[in-house]
Amino acid sequence: MSHLLALLLFSSLVSVVFALLQREGKRERIRFGLLTFGAFVASALVVGWLMYPFPS
Amino acid sequence: MADSKIIAEPRRGGAVPAVILAWLLPGAGHLYLRRTTKGLVLLVTILALFSLGVAWDARLSPYLRLDDLLAFLRSIAQMAMGLPYFIARSLGFDAGLVTAPSHEYGNTFTEVSGLLNILVMLDAYDIAVGRKSGS
Repeated sequence: MSHLLALLLFSSLVSVVFALLQREGKRERIRFGLLTFGAFVASALVVGWLMYPFPS
Repeated sequence: MADSKIIAEPRRGGAVPAVILAWLLPGAGHLYLRRTTKGLVLLVTILALFSLGVAWDARLSPYLRLDDLLAFLRSIAQMAMGLPYFIARSLGFDAGLVTAPSHEYGNTFTEVSGLLNILVMLDAYDIAVGRKSGS
């Protein structure tokens, strides 16, 4: 198990649920799901990158 | 004038069983309300999230005292998964493994799956009373 795999699994599964609950219509759901997935992954990478200089 | 918030025909007497079924098994409330595809996708995704969490050594044992509010809230979140939570505990997965590298991931996955199921329960309620079409 890698951190990246956990991030991708978490982001994809939660995005599917959010898209189903928040939007109606196939097209809108796919668009919202992809946007949410991208936001999860991008924000995690940015926060991880910002924390890189901190000692563990 | 009709209430503009009512956008679908409510299912009479359906709200309480829909919410209870949704708690017992993610997506079951939607299946009861005949939103089959949505119910099945919710079932698979939320169950996958919870199962991954259990496989990654999450701690499932309940903490129901208020002296540690965060531990209390995370237990409530996990219990919102309904039957899968209690089945996993009865199968001996309740202790988790705090030394495992994946332990905190497991905790997060199981807690978030329960929180998502609360949203699913609210969605089932909205569909049952006619606030959403939910198709």
